[in-house]
Amino acid sequence: MRPLVPVSTATKVLLGVGFFVVFFAAWTAATLGGYVNRTFLADPLTMAVAGWRLLSVHGFARDIGVTIWRVFGGFALAAIVGVPLGIAMGAWKPIEAFFEPFISFARYLPASGFIPLLILWAGIGEAEKLLLIFIGSFFQLVLMVAVTVGSTRRDLVEAAYTLGARASGIVGRVLLPSSAPTIAETLRLVLGWAWTYVIVAELIGASSGIGHMITDSQALLDTGQIIFGIVVIGVIGLVSDYLFKTLNQRLFPWSLA
Amino acid sequence: MSRLVLDEVSRTFPGVRGGPPTRALEPTSLAVADNDFICLLGPSGCGKSTLLRIVAGLDRPTTGRVTLDGAPVTAPGADRGMVFQSYTLFPWLTVEQNIRFGLREQGLSTAEQTRIAAHYIARVGLEGFERHYPKMLSGGMQQRTALARALANDPKILLLDEPFGALDNQTRSLMQELLLGIWESDRKTVLFVTHDIDEAIFMANRVAVMTARPGRIKRELVIDLPQRASSRAHGPRQRTGPASGARRSGPPNGTSARPRSSTAGAPAAGAAVEAEVAGPSSNS
Ligand SMILES: Nc1ncnc2c1ncn2[C@@H]1O[C@H](COP(=O)(O)OP(=O)(O)O)[C@@H](O)[C@H]1O
Ligand SMILES: [Mg+2]
Repeated sequence: MRPLVPVSTATKVLLGVGFFVVFFAAWTAATLGGYVNRTFLADPLTMAVAGWRLLSVHGFARDIGVTIWRVFGGFALAAIVGVPLGIAMGAWKPIEAFFEPFISFARYLPASGFIPLLILWAGIGEAEKLLLIFIGSFFQLVLMVAVTVGSTRRDLVEAAYTLGARASGIVGRVLLPSSAPTIAETLRLVLGWAWTYVIVAELIGASSGIGHMITDSQALLDTGQIIFGIVVIGVIGLVSDYLFKTLNQRLFPWSLA
Repeated sequence: MSRLVLDEVSRTFPGVRGGPPTRALEPTSLAVADNDFICLLGPSGCGKSTLLRIVAGLDRPTTGRVTLDGAPVTAPGADRGMVFQSYTLFPWLTVEQNIRFGLREQGLSTAEQTRIAAHYIARVGLEGFERHYPKMLSGGMQQRTALARALANDPKILLLDEPFGALDNQTRSLMQELLLGIWESDRKTVLFVTHDIDEAIFMANRVAVMTARPGRIKRELVIDLPQRASSRAHGPRQRTGPASGARRSGPPNGTSARPRSSTAGAPAAGAAVEAEVAGPSSNS
């Protein structure tokens, strides 16, 4: 195997699916083979049955819908404010000098630590969940976008100037298009974080959502349901990530090798 | 008439982390006349790029001033087209869109942009590659596009900073002939930076030889090669039809009748320049 040599699409899919099979087989062997106590880890069959029960009897689909809505709501909020601010910071250094120190400080504030405060301020409704996701992703997003825009190739900016571009046009005609693929990739990454924060938000003080179902199942010691909930999150994450990636490739064909 | 005048232009870069400042360019004067093809020739690090960047308005001189048609140069502008050594095509734009970049900045109508872009795409022999992104192009094709992009603005002077430095020999020869053909048929004024003696003699009608760092122009030499006369004879043929002439004589087929070897035809000029470059820099 030589480094950096790409593999064919077929091999890639085969290998990717292969690990899922290995993982599933190991899990099945550990649980059905009796190596692990059922109280701690449900076997795949129990999980599937629990999942079916959740969906058909307990209306779990609605919980999934609520969670997805929260993720995308909080994510959209962070993106709508964060991307323009990040672009402005990357492009104009005084704006960066103004915001950067505070945002660098704020991004180290643990988002989950805000939950008690957020509940105090916004109650245990939707606003609290969205705000938590916002706090968890906004500051990181702003900084990453600012770095991306700020590291635009200087020679491209200079080339644009020698072609008659004015300072006002540089942002729209050079900084934005050259940063767009990386910003889109950053958003994809941040969407992944939003999924982590939504479950944290739902574990405390929620009456619906996947996270809420998981806390409920904990009280019942139903590891089958817990694992089903986790798997559902993983599957939705995988699908949204794939869609995002495909969209990025469609939008920015020039950035591909 | 001198278009571009450099008057005692020097550049000193401030020291890095308390170090001593770097004198990149000693006070240098140079006059470029209409339709000149001047090569700035000197070893690496002698301040050629610095000088060209000052002319482009991308850098400011520490002392001295630059004027173009009498107006002082203080900022970059479309009247000075530039081709960089590094590939600076906008990767998110196709070949055609790259060439239209400056035209769009000028506010030309889309139809006008299309017409001019098509003309220069043909001029540099890139028909069929209009919709390609820079990543899909070879280095030579990227520099062709960069040349077309600079030419499309119809600048008063074309500034080239070792534009063919990263290309293989064969491609470089083709590009040199392409540029000479454009210079001859379109009556362009060119300031061309190179560290390659052969290239300087082959391309220029005047070579300004620079000393090693801190650079200054040690000697200016007028080049009058026999093959230049022969190439001039090609001029009218190329001038008859800007697009069609280039398409036939220019690369990628590259079947120009011009002799390739530059110094061979003019040993005297070559030796003179070589002596200047090799000689001790203190002797001016
Ligand atoms: N931005 C800069 N800051 C400090 N020193 C520089 C800068 N640009 C160029 N120099 C120095 O100026 C000298 C001339 O550089 P340059 O003009 O690029 O040379 P050339 O193009 O002839 O190879 C070099 O010694 C280089 O290190
Ligand atoms: Mg240089």
